[in-house]
Amino acid sequence: MTSAAIRLEQVTKTFDGRVVAVDAITLDIAAGEFFSLLGPSGCGKTTSLRMIAGFEHPDSGRVYVGGRDITDVPVHRRDMGMVFQSYALFPHRTVVENVAFGLRMREVPRADIERRVAAALAQVALTGLEDRKPSQLSGGQQQRVALARALVVEPPVLLCDEPLGALDRKLRQQMQFELKELQKRLGVTLVFVTHDQEEALAMSDRIAVMNKGRVEQVGSPAEIYEQPRTRFVADFIGEINILDEAGTARALRPEKIRLVTPDGARVAGRVETANYLGGSTLLRVRASDGSSMLVRETHAGERASRTPGDLVGLTWSDQDTVALEG
Amino acid sequence: MTTRGRPSPIAWLLAPAALLFVLFFVLPFGVMAAMSVFSGNPVNNPNAFLTTRHYERFVFDTAGIYHDALWATLRIGLITTIISLLIGYPLAHWMARMQSRLGHALVLMAVIAPMLTGIVVRTFAWMTILQDKGVINTLLIQWGLTDKPLPLMYNEFGTIVALVHIYVPFMVLTLTGVIGRIDERLEQAARSLGAGRLRAFVEVTLPLSLPGILAGSLLVFALSISAYVTPSLMGGTDVLTLPMLIAQQVGTSFNPNFAGALGVILLLVSLAIVIAYNRILARLSGEQGLA
Ligand SMILES: Nc1ncnc2c1ncn2[C@@H]1O[C@H](COP(=O)(O)OP(=O)(O)O)[C@@H](O)[C@H]1O
Ligand SMILES: [Mg+2]
Repeated sequence: MTSAAIRLEQVTKTFDGRVVAVDAITLDIAAGEFFSLLGPSGCGKTTSLRMIAGFEHPDSGRVYVGGRDITDVPVHRRDMGMVFQSYALFPHRTVVENVAFGLRMREVPRADIERRVAAALAQVALTGLEDRKPSQLSGGQQQRVALARALVVEPPVLLCDEPLGALDRKLRQQMQFELKELQKRLGVTLVFVTHDQEEALAMSDRIAVMNKGRVEQVGSPAEIYEQPRTRFVADFIGEINILDEAGTARALRPEKIRLVTPDGARVAGRVETANYLGGSTLLRVRASDGSSMLVRETHAGERASRTPGDLVGLTWSDQDTVALEG
Repeated sequence: MTTRGRPSPIAWLLAPAALLFVLFFVLPFGVMAAMSVFSGNPVNNPNAFLTTRHYERFVFDTAGIYHDALWATLRIGLITTIISLLIGYPLAHWMARMQSRLGHALVLMAVIAPMLTGIVVRTFAWMTILQDKGVINTLLIQWGLTDKPLPLMYNEFGTIVALVHIYVPFMVLTLTGVIGRIDERLEQAARSLGAGRLRAFVEVTLPLSLPGILAGSLLVFALSISAYVTPSLMGGTDVLTLPMLIAQQVGTSFNPNFAGALGVILLLVSLAIVIAYNRILARLSGEQGLA
């Protein structure tokens, strides 16, 4: 399967002349990359994706796919697969008819359609459900049909808008693995929209963190997590402590903090709450000066469990803190 | 849960509707059907006997007008329905997909407004527009486009124009509800898979709106074949529909028995058409899993 690079160049979209949904963003997505748009609800992820798909036309800026300017190309000539959050399966059509739709629109010969639909259904483990209607499928199965329908035409680009949002946790994790594996196997460029930071970290090659229509930071999951550039990114991805050191804000992850005896520690305080999380416990420690810090105590080795009220000391090394802009 | 035989207490709320149905449909229809098989009124005429002569009169049609009247009724109903659908569907689609709430409210008002004025008023309005000395003909003659007024009313054309105007809102309201419930993203999915706008509409929205097309068409058809005021005023002497014939039999010929037979025939014919139409569309939508 071929894949194509995507470039958004200074793309802006305003609704009703007031709401700036996407504010002059520039993104470069490499061919074959699993790229996530991550951010809170309303930050402009869906609008960005819909501009790549062609459902929205940018007010200004250009969209390129495979080096070609497609800003003015209509949706049906863009040759992209799209998976909607609600799946948008055709309720009046069977599984086979749903999956065959894109091939039929491309006037692929009948025999080829049958073969390719069967292959696509096998790929997402749906063989045997060919003649069901979408309403007769579980959420996970509908999800797979949507995926097969988008992928059967072998698009160079696959766009997914919170495709796993409606699944329960266990199934979602399984689908995360399957989707990522499928994407790597096919080599398709995948743009993935999610508001779930764990999902983005787990699946992506690179992530763009968005806030209020702008891109705050682009980077690999490790970069985003360990080197957050702004307070917003640090705050949005996982738990964070923001330290004020001589007027500049520095971020410190709770798991970088070690628990020591109170004397001679950087901070001494009392455990206020202890949230047991299975693999670790998240402690909130109230320092003597009134500020509070989050500390992650992992349960790898011997487990010295702290309970609320315990007096503890906290320490960390300076290289684990990251300076933040703004 | 509700499989027990005991009816829900809410069932009582249906009582007024059931009562109305009996009082204003079952009862009059029963009286009409009974009258149609008697020679006279059995209540005040003890010599009235059972007869099929009213039906024979219609079937053999020696006067040569009854079959024409039935055919004219169905033809007017059918054409009115088709035109209402052709006008109503695009309007309903536009309304159902409108983003702006204000715009939606305004169009809805424009659609409903004609329903707030009486049928007689609306029909007279059409008369001032379509008659020989009406707005259209006056203008055409003034501009020298024609020297004789065009026959725009006192015929089937005028009747259908007025009927369409009166019944299009029913079509629009029925269709708007159905189209509005079809997820827009289905059409978008079709477009992302390579279908142009028109193709996406034909493949997705149109088949999914078949139930609305069915309901709206049946409603308009039923209303227009039973219309009396509009064909009488707009049709002049050119148009004779079954409802007009029935009114004549009751009002001027004093033959309620024959009127009853005509009523039964109209009901049976339209019932047959409705059932056939229902079957066909159910088969169509059944193939597409809507049944
Ligand atoms: N069709 C639209 N009309 C008006 N406003 C819209 C429309 N689509 C999105 N918006 C607005 O644009 C902003 C971004 O929306 P969206 O891209 O859907 O965010 P996200 O997908 O990140 O939750 C929101 O404030 C939303 O209300
Ligand atoms: Mg969204």
